[in-house]
Amino acid sequence: MRIALPRGTVRLAAAIAAIAALACLGPVVAPMDPLEQDLMRVMEPPGARHWLGTDHVGRDVLSRVLAGAPYSLGLAMLSVGMSASSGTLLGLVAANSGATGRAVVMRLADLVLAFPGLLLALLLSGLFGGGILPMLAGLHLAMWPQYARMADAAATSILREGHVEAARLAGFPEWIILLRHVLPRVLRTLAPLAILGTGQAIMSIAALGFLGLGLRPPTPEWGAMINDLLPFLAEGIVQVAAPCAAIFATVLALSLAGRSLAGSTMPPSVR
Amino acid sequence: MTEALAVEGLHIRDASGNAVIEGISFAIRRGGALTLIGETGSGKSLVALALLGLLPSGMKATGTIALAGARPFDAADGRGLQALWRRHLMLVPQEPAAALDPIMRVRRQLALAGLVGAKVDVALQAVDLGEEDGGKFGFELSGGMAQRVLVATALGTGAPVVVADEPTKCLDPERVGQVIGLLRRLLLDGRSLFVITHDRRLAQSLPGQLAILHGGRIVENGRAEDVIAAPRSAFGRAWMASDPAAWPACARGCDRSRLALSAHGLSFAWPGRPPLFRELDLHLPRGAILGIDGPSGCGKTTLGDVLLGLRRPSAGSVEWAGEDIVGRPDAIRPMRRRYQKLHQEPAAAFIPGLPLRRQFEALRLVVPGFDASRALPELLDRLKLRHALIDRRPEELSGGEAQRMSLARVLALDPHVIVADEPTSRLDPVVQRETMALLREQVEARGISVVMVSHDASLLRAVADETISLARAPGVPA
Amino acid sequence: MLRVLAHRLGQAVATAIALATLCFAAIHALPGDLSLQVAAARVGDERVTRETADRIRREERLDAPLALQYARWMAGIARGELGRSLVSGRPVAEELAYHARYTIQLGAAGWLLSYLFALPLGLLAGFQPGGWLDRAADGLAVVLASLPSFLVGIGLVTVFALGLRLLPPAGFRTGAHMVLPALTLALSLAAFSIPVVRDAVVETRAAFFLTFARMKGLGAAAAFLHHGARNAAIPVVTFAALQFALVIDGFVVIETLFNYPGLGDLLVKSLVARDVPVIMGAGLLVGLSFAMVNLAADMLCLWLDPRRRRETKP
Repeated sequence: MRIALPRGTVRLAAAIAAIAALACLGPVVAPMDPLEQDLMRVMEPPGARHWLGTDHVGRDVLSRVLAGAPYSLGLAMLSVGMSASSGTLLGLVAANSGATGRAVVMRLADLVLAFPGLLLALLLSGLFGGGILPMLAGLHLAMWPQYARMADAAATSILREGHVEAARLAGFPEWIILLRHVLPRVLRTLAPLAILGTGQAIMSIAALGFLGLGLRPPTPEWGAMINDLLPFLAEGIVQVAAPCAAIFATVLALSLAGRSLAGSTMPPSVR
Repeated sequence: MTEALAVEGLHIRDASGNAVIEGISFAIRRGGALTLIGETGSGKSLVALALLGLLPSGMKATGTIALAGARPFDAADGRGLQALWRRHLMLVPQEPAAALDPIMRVRRQLALAGLVGAKVDVALQAVDLGEEDGGKFGFELSGGMAQRVLVATALGTGAPVVVADEPTKCLDPERVGQVIGLLRRLLLDGRSLFVITHDRRLAQSLPGQLAILHGGRIVENGRAEDVIAAPRSAFGRAWMASDPAAWPACARGCDRSRLALSAHGLSFAWPGRPPLFRELDLHLPRGAILGIDGPSGCGKTTLGDVLLGLRRPSAGSVEWAGEDIVGRPDAIRPMRRRYQKLHQEPAAAFIPGLPLRRQFEALRLVVPGFDASRALPELLDRLKLRHALIDRRPEELSGGEAQRMSLARVLALDPHVIVADEPTSRLDPVVQRETMALLREQVEARGISVVMVSHDASLLRAVADETISLARAPGVPA
Repeated sequence: MLRVLAHRLGQAVATAIALATLCFAAIHALPGDLSLQVAAARVGDERVTRETADRIRREERLDAPLALQYARWMAGIARGELGRSLVSGRPVAEELAYHARYTIQLGAAGWLLSYLFALPLGLLAGFQPGGWLDRAADGLAVVLASLPSFLVGIGLVTVFALGLRLLPPAGFRTGAHMVLPALTLALSLAAFSIPVVRDAVVETRAAFFLTFARMKGLGAAAAFLHHGARNAAIPVVTFAALQFALVIDGFVVIETLFNYPGLGDLLVKSLVARDVPVIMGAGLLVGLSFAMVNLAADMLCLWLDPRRRRETKP
């Protein structure tokens, strides 16, 4: 049932595949144990044994960056997946219900959107002492309304189109109409948002880690790593730069992929 | 020179080098008018853009364009032609609303065109606009009002030649009279007029010359009355014949004893608004064609929707094969696919982006025993559609093809009644005639009843056995 | 117009209530003894004793039933009493006022700086869509948007403070201390405002009414000035006003990075220390400010764009 693929889909698929692979296989590929400390080799510069040097307690930085991928990337993808799914579901429900049903969902979305984005995740995560579950919950809570609103808007507009009326006239049941006529287009509309949203999630998780309110050491989450190593910036630029570069590279890849999916080579209007 | 505008040997090529316009020449005398007719895609608007030096990049023009009082310009000299704006040449564009700044008041926009003080009021009055209209913002104007402001602007600038590009395009069909009035106003003021249109009624009502553009060339050019009465080219003849007023009147017999569809005491009103129609009675025998006529906004489409069970009426009953279906989904369900609609937008019934074959195959979910691979070839042949089209996507088809494909879909459902909602209004006149002929042929062969909704009274006279006229709804602006 | 106002105010109130409840629920649902944690934050981990914890429990009435504490807390907020910091002992309102000042300065400076940068760049890029400047500006925007603000900050610190030794890296003593944080904020905001300005210019210039204005006899510059500028300004100003509210996302991280004593820094430190009254106070203040700025932005939009005034839904 696939609609004509837009240009850049191949690049997008490649980018996502690479990131997903990294997220799953990172720890497997890591040459050394990311948690193993060696206080004799503290803050070593990059060399033959440690390609990116060691951190302030002697751990191999390369291994830590690779091992951190499931946290920094995997969690981001998971949180976006959850938000997109629940948001789309709620949005479709809203579009399909009467005025009251719709109003309820939209008011709820508005309420959440009234909170500045990071703040919600920050509060939840910080209050519950960091860790995976509070962070996931916070991100999910903060992100679902955008998907709900977009899905509702898209679905509502599609449901007014001629082919939906024609299908109803032919006697197709409502669920088939939702599945064949509405859902593919809604997903297509939401895809760029989800891609860009994953980038945002990666940055949020890193920010929380950096603040010390997300995942904490010794978990090799990239933001937390940066926070740990920042006092040693003068002695070891590479060690700080490595997780920075990891974050930047993955988010940049997703931004570019998301934009090419949205179909323009120039940035889309933000509002 | 004696003419107001003279065009010689105008060629326009598109980005791939294909010729869109192949060497046309025409002239307009001072104070005269020339109407250029052509079908959608014939390139007639490109002629206007070329005159104004606004051809899109990638398109190349050659030839000479000469305006009285200025030196002749090469058609490729966009900049030079743009310098002629306002003093020699003025445009009344296709989409009037887009030419006005939405957040600026009309008065100020006219002032920026050079109309200040008392001249503004004079100009507004000349186009039947009031003083309060001067205070409105651009976005508050309807298409018709915006057009009047633009004509006022043209009057105010004093340009001797005015180009009107598809002046009826964005208006309701019954407002042709208003457009004719505005154009005559320009002629009265001593301007020369170059009108581009595909609207037959406009072309037949304007004085001066009439030229027909087809295949990139001008195939007719003469006095309007002469061309209309006796077109010499094949296309010209086909174009004139596509006027439903020229079609033979409908003379068919129908089976009055059995009613496929009927309605009694039908009324409908949107909440808080006056009723669109009241106490309407309607009888559609098997095999008959019933016309519903009325201007836009009067409720024709809504009536069609009520008859199809898509909307509930405020009062009254609708009977399908004798059974009242108002508010009774269980009565509707067994007969649902027998009562179908042909949409105004040709491709509207199809899911965009999905190959047509798949969409036809899906019909087996609602038509028991439907096998697309067996039924389609015959259906496509009957409707004169190439078999290759079935593997295309709906948006890849031309208007006429898409409408016939839509009809094929409806026929595949084996209906008893089709509500055709302005099914040909979006098509070019010649295509319109062909499509309508096919519709009638199929309908007669299968004994289907049709409710034909249209604003075109002459079309209904030619096609329908009987016509109901819905009066204009109160509250719709003139 | 009134409906929008009422809607936004209602939203602000609902936000406040939800925030307060959320904080309250979270704090008290946590494992571990609250009084111990507060004591540790106040006197240091090593010097915590049972007596200290008990004393704190009594002083702050942390042993009262949950519902009572909630009621007390909500009532206090309604009266404007936010309690005292569990760590410093000072009234929360005082703490908030002290730190908020710095944040407002930083936010305003960063926001203004970002537009000082984005407006000319976006304008020039928009005048030549597809040109080299447009592509460069777009590339810059993508890169900045892919960098979390703390990375931008670290980059700037490395270059200016450590590398060139031009500016102080952290803390706040002199005005110079605000430069790097403001610059960091400005760059993070510019990532989004550059494309907005650029798109507004491109769309407006492509609008037919601009071409038509030239047909009426206006020169290209005059046409853009009279018709283009106002139309282009609407999406830009709308976005700018809203972005001021989004500054909140950035300042928390930036203040922590630079040790800048603003609200964000306070919020993070109090989260770590479990200083409940301050967390709630700060959270409330931020949430309410967000709602207020959104309201102001809405009003501004309504004033600027006569089309919005006719809309019946908020």
